[in-house]
Amino acid sequence: MLNLGFVVRRLLQMIPTFVFILVVTFVIVRLLPGDPLSAQAGDRVTDAQVAHAQAELGLDQPMLVQFFLFVKHVLSGDLGRSYVVQIPVWRLIGQRLPPTLILTAMSTILGILIAVPLAFVAALRRDRVSDAAIRGTFQVGLSMPVFYIGLVLLTVFSAQLRWFPVGGYGDSMADHVYHLFLPSLTLAVSLAAVLMRNLRTAIIDVLNAEYVDFARAKGLMPRVIMIRHVLRNALISSVALLGPTIGTLLGGAVITESVFAIPGVGRLMIDSIYGRDYPVIQGLTLSLAVVVSLIFLATDLIQAALDPRVAQ
Amino acid sequence: MKISFKFAATSALLLGISLATLGPAEALTRGGTLVYGRYADSLFVEPVLNDGNVDIWILSNIYDTLILPTDDGKGLQPGLATAWQVAPDGMSVTVTLREGTMFSDGSPITADDVKWSLDRARDPQKGIWNFLLESVGSVDIKDPKTIVLTLKHPDPAILSALSVFNTSIMPKKQFEAAAGADDAAKAKTFSEHPVGSGPFTIQSWNHGSEMKLVKNPHYWRKGEDGQPLPYLDGVTFEVIPDDATRILKVQSGELDGAEFIPFSRVEELKADDKLDMELFPSTKVAYGNLNVRPKLKDGSDNPLSNEKVRQALNYAADKDAIIAIVTHGVGTPMSSYMSAATPMHVGSGTEFPVDVEKAKSLMKEAGFDKGISFSCLVIAGNVDEIGIATALQQMWSEIGVKLNIEQVDNATLQAKYRAGDFSMRLGYWTDDIADPNEITSYFGYSPTIQAQHSGWKNDEFDKLYEASQKELDAKKRADEYARMQEIYKNGPIVPLYESPYPVVLKKSVKGFVQIPLGNNIFSAAHIEK
Repeated sequence: MLNLGFVVRRLLQMIPTFVFILVVTFVIVRLLPGDPLSAQAGDRVTDAQVAHAQAELGLDQPMLVQFFLFVKHVLSGDLGRSYVVQIPVWRLIGQRLPPTLILTAMSTILGILIAVPLAFVAALRRDRVSDAAIRGTFQVGLSMPVFYIGLVLLTVFSAQLRWFPVGGYGDSMADHVYHLFLPSLTLAVSLAAVLMRNLRTAIIDVLNAEYVDFARAKGLMPRVIMIRHVLRNALISSVALLGPTIGTLLGGAVITESVFAIPGVGRLMIDSIYGRDYPVIQGLTLSLAVVVSLIFLATDLIQAALDPRVAQ
Repeated sequence: MKISFKFAATSALLLGISLATLGPAEALTRGGTLVYGRYADSLFVEPVLNDGNVDIWILSNIYDTLILPTDDGKGLQPGLATAWQVAPDGMSVTVTLREGTMFSDGSPITADDVKWSLDRARDPQKGIWNFLLESVGSVDIKDPKTIVLTLKHPDPAILSALSVFNTSIMPKKQFEAAAGADDAAKAKTFSEHPVGSGPFTIQSWNHGSEMKLVKNPHYWRKGEDGQPLPYLDGVTFEVIPDDATRILKVQSGELDGAEFIPFSRVEELKADDKLDMELFPSTKVAYGNLNVRPKLKDGSDNPLSNEKVRQALNYAADKDAIIAIVTHGVGTPMSSYMSAATPMHVGSGTEFPVDVEKAKSLMKEAGFDKGISFSCLVIAGNVDEIGIATALQQMWSEIGVKLNIEQVDNATLQAKYRAGDFSMRLGYWTDDIADPNEITSYFGYSPTIQAQHSGWKNDEFDKLYEASQKELDAKKRADEYARMQEIYKNGPIVPLYESPYPVVLKKSVKGFVQIPLGNNIFSAAHIEK
């Protein structure tokens, strides 16, 4: 059962996190060398034009005044306008966040689908050839650069076999899933590798636990033991691991987004940092913080469901 | 003598010749959507306030100008104006507007729209391109089909300026009706769904991902089959930053063409019989940009202020080797600070053929035979820039020059460059106007931006530039430019190479051109069945 008190407590804990992120992002982007005008202005811009544009954007005002205005706007739901593409930040994020969210969700699902059965096989056949083969394969997958895995998948499955499109995002939900399959697989390889290793160790630990021996002694069916006792308990640490890993995926899918031409937030974040597009960096960081916090909340809730002591 | 430009007659003649050579048998295929891969998306599709090639190079598909550049980037042809005449004293230009032209929403293009657009384009408070119309004192409507530009001084480049994107004719009423408190705010709203009179109009735009252009049914130009252009129903730009993926998408048939093909892939794609690997002539030049102030920002003496040291660096740099390394042989050496495709360019071959012994003796003459050391700013992770800097580092070590390569991100680099806080950076330039005045103003004329923020100042150069901006005699103006190019041999750059625009197209794509100024022209593109 959902513990409401636990959820409310966790939601309240998020508020200081968001305030901290707002302040830190605001200050850090302004401490970076260079400024939005220098970053974007071509060779033809004169110093007077730079000063004029700076005044127009309010960048000539003291930082405290800028921060006050920024907070005032955020509280009224206005994240500002991008300095680079001139459109409202919320609209830009609205365009770019869904591809990354779908990509992350698909990668996570694929990662779990790959990792869980293989972790079981590896754990149950511990130190045998199949265990070594599974672990070895993932070790190779984990050590291969993401862009290389992506390009190999693209060359084989898209360019040669023509099973998938060469990158892009598509127009409908079904199309998105079709377009994002290979990039999800690319990301799922490393995710599955981490999950598989963690889960394998956890399963081995649980298999040695006394309550499993007890269950066996009670004469429970092996399948029931595996699902109700082994998997449930082994998953607790893996679920905890999933939160930060998905968080990394959200912000760290830049290379995959580039190779597969996915218009996601990873690329937007990098472009915005290079372009010193302050409103976009701030808006995006805040949006990602909200998404990541919600993912952490979800993993906490799953953990609490698996192990009620977590909610205490 | 009355100076008259009858480009309309010339272009009609050229059209007649091309129709005759085409023959009746070669029927053009109309329809279809061309899908084109771009390395980066446009940012702000606004003629006056934009500042980036990602916008500039596609603007002419959406907006139209009074005069159009020719495909070789050097000449002019009629656009929304059918004829123009410069007064004998050079103090005014009378422009005759084309009859019956319309914006993409079907509203007529009026003299009022033209006056408003030109007044906005020349407003010193708006954008960075108004310098191109600095000579214009007023724009007046003589009658509904005639506009008169009264000039403050004769301007030999005024007609070329009327072919530049910032003078695009925009609909005054629709712009002013856009939401926003002032011009800048209205421009932001308007440019999301712009109304122009170019061959296409924007149907949808998903920033950073895809821009869909559809045919403007009211476009005035006629195709080779006598029907209105464009031949295509639409053009879709897909944004694919990764070079390998962009190429794979063309090879797999998902794209009809793609821009910015890495030079390292040119030979391989040339060999593909399903593709046309185009190297469109360009005005692009690549160079090392030196700070020549006597003192650097940190107060230390700057050896690069010595002309002999700069000459030594130029003679010690093997441009052919750099061309081979960076452009895989596709580039050509620079013979002047401006590209060979720029009007009034003078020179041939390499401006400074490699001569290490001469470079050594120049260093000795300059009093630096014990060597010098300075840094070159390069954009972190930029393979081309790191390649050039590393090659120069090795070449210059032979004459006792220690080059430190400092990798920084673009914003940091630009801030340091603007502040004059650098010794060297690598620069690239493409012209926006079919005239040498733009590059010359930024590269050498000190009042503009201190000659690429180098601190270089040559009084004779400055005077020649000012004179050339008012010189109507083409011969005299060409002489002035020849002299400026001569003086600039002691200027603040290390000329490296010129390079074309590498574009790959499916064999079925015909009629697309990227002109030397960079503009992607899709109006006459078609896909053969």
